[in-house]
Amino acid sequence: SQTLLGSVPRRLVAVVPVEYKPPSTETNPTLEDPTPDYMNLLGMIFSMCGLMLKLKWCAWIAVYCSFISFANSRSSEDTKQMMSSFMLSISAVVMSYLQNPQPMSPPW
Amino acid sequence: KIFPSHLCLVFLTAPLFSHLGRYNDDFDDGEDLADFDDNDFAEFEDMNDDLAAEAETAPPPRVSPSSQPEEDEDEATVELEDGQDGFDDSETQVQDFVSVKYDQEEFEGVGDMEKTGHSMKDPLIIHTVPAHLQNSWESYYMEILMVTGLLAYIMNYIIGKNKNSRLAQAWFNSHRELLESNFALVGDDGTSKEAVSTGKLNQENEHIYNLWCSGRVCCEGMLIQLKFLKRQDLLNVLARMMRPACDQVQIKVTLNDEDMDTFVFAVGTKKAMARLQKEMQDLSEFCGDKPKSGAKYGLPESLAILTEMGEVTDGVMDNKMVHYITNHADKIESIHFSDQFSGPKVMQEEGQPLKLPETKKTLLFTFNVPGMGNTSPKDMDTLLPLMNMVIYSIDKVKKLRLNREGKQKADRNRARVEENFLKQTHAQRQEAAQTRREEKKRAEKERIMNEEDPERQRRLEREPDSMPR
Repeated sequence: SQTLLGSVPRRLVAVVPVEYKPPSTETNPTLEDPTPDYMNLLGMIFSMCGLMLKLKWCAWIAVYCSFISFANSRSSEDTKQMMSSFMLSISAVVMSYLQNPQPMSPPW
Repeated sequence: KIFPSHLCLVFLTAPLFSHLGRYNDDFDDGEDLADFDDNDFAEFEDMNDDLAAEAETAPPPRVSPSSQPEEDEDEATVELEDGQDGFDDSETQVQDFVSVKYDQEEFEGVGDMEKTGHSMKDPLIIHTVPAHLQNSWESYYMEILMVTGLLAYIMNYIIGKNKNSRLAQAWFNSHRELLESNFALVGDDGTSKEAVSTGKLNQENEHIYNLWCSGRVCCEGMLIQLKFLKRQDLLNVLARMMRPACDQVQIKVTLNDEDMDTFVFAVGTKKAMARLQKEMQDLSEFCGDKPKSGAKYGLPESLAILTEMGEVTDGVMDNKMVHYITNHADKIESIHFSDQFSGPKVMQEEGQPLKLPETKKTLLFTFNVPGMGNTSPKDMDTLLPLMNMVIYSIDKVKKLRLNREGKQKADRNRARVEENFLKQTHAQRQEAAQTRREEKKRAEKERIMNEEDPERQRRLEREPDSMPR
C-alpha cells in the first residue's frame, strides 16, 4: 500500500530528508544559457562605440542590449555587473545627445 | 550715354554695394559723385552704362567678381576670381542683360522698382530648413520610437514575469497536497542549515522555479524544475512567434544505491530519443541500438524506446505504466531511468576525460505543459496524473529486479564500457603521469636552487642525483 493522504505513514518518519544542494554549474557549462553574457558584452561594445565614435544609434542599441541582458539574467548573476552595463549605456546615450543635440537620422 | 533712369537704378542699388568698402580708397572723387554717399560709385560713373545695368540684374554675390575686372584695369591690386578672361565674359554678359532690359522696357516701371528694391533680382527661392536645424518635437521621431520600444520592452517584462509567476503558483497549488503526503521535506532552497521545509517554490530567475522534495523511502530526493518560456524577454516572445515552444516540467529523482537495480532505459518522443541518445553519456554507451517504436508495447506510434536489453523494457512497461503513458502521451517528452547517469557528454580540451564521470542512480522525467506557450493556470492541473506516475515509478523501480541472466548481461556491459574507456585514455593517462613526475622533479630542483649556498651544497651532497642544471 502506498501513502495515505492526510496522515504520515510511519516509514516516512524514519527517513532523514536530504538537504538541497544547488547543482554546480561549473561541471555543466553547456547547460547554461549564454544569452545574458553575450548581451552584456554586446552592450558594452556598443556603448564604447557610441561614446567614442559619437554614434547615437550605437548608444541606443547598447541600452536595448543591457535591458535584454537584465531580462535574461540568472539568479546567480551579479547585480553590480548588470547595473554597471546599464549605467554605461545610459551615459553613452546622454553623452551623444549632449555633444550633438540634433535628432538621430534614420539609416534609410 | 547715361540715362537718368540708369542713375536712379544705381542709386537704388547703393546699399548692395556698401560691402565694397575696401574699394573706397581706390576711387577718385569726381563732381558727379557729390550726389552719392558711397565713393564706390565713382568707379561706376566712369564706366559705360552696360556695367550699371549689369550690376542691377546680377545677383549680389556676383557683384564683387564683376567689379574686380574694372579694378584691375585701374589698379592691379585685386585678384580676379575667374582670371583675366572673366573680364571679357562679364562684358558680353552685360551686353546680353542690357539688350534684355531694353527689350522689356523695364524702365517704365521705375516706381515699382523703387518700392520693391531687392525683389527685382531673381525670384526668391524659399528653402525648407533642414530637420536638424528645426526646433520641433517632430524631428525627434526616431528617439521617440526608441523610447516607445523600451517602454514596450519593460511592459512585456512585467507582464511576462507575472504570467510565469501565476503559472508556477498554480502548478504548486495543484501538486502541493500530493507532494506533502509523499515527502517529509517539501521546498528547500539550500540556504538554511537544517532541512526545514519552506513549503514554497524556490524562484531561480524569472522563468525557472525549483522545488526540492525529500524524506521518502525508495529515493534520496526529488528536484522539480518548472522551466517556463522566457515570457519576460520581448525578443524571446517574438522569436517564439516564428518557432513555437512550450513550457516544460523537469523532474529528477535521485536514488540511493539500494533503490535501483542496474539498468538503463528511456522512452519518449522520437525526436527526444534521437537527441538524448546522442547527447547523454549513459544512453550512448549502453543503449547502442536505434530507438524502437513504442507500438510493440502498446504505446502510441509517436513514442520510441531506448533500452539496454529487452528484459528491462518488459519489466518497466507494465500495464499501469503503459496506461499512464498512453493517456498522457501528448505531455510526455522523455522518461529516462538509469543507474549510470552522469549527465550529458562532456567535451574537455584534452579530448577525453581522464577518469570516468561520477554516476548516480537517477530517474528523469520531462513533461510538456499543454498549450504550446499559450497556457493558462488551469492547464497546470492536467499535469497532476503525471506526478502520480512519477511516484508510482519510484516505487516500481525499487521493486524491479533483473533475473540472473539479465544481471550478468548488465554487469558485462558495465565492465565493457569501463574497459573501453580505460583503453582509450591509456595513452593520455600515461602522458599525464609522466608530466606529473616531471613536474615533481622540476619543483624539487627549483626548491634546491632557491636555497642559500652552503645549504644547497649540503643538500647536493646528500642527493647527488638532483643535480642543478
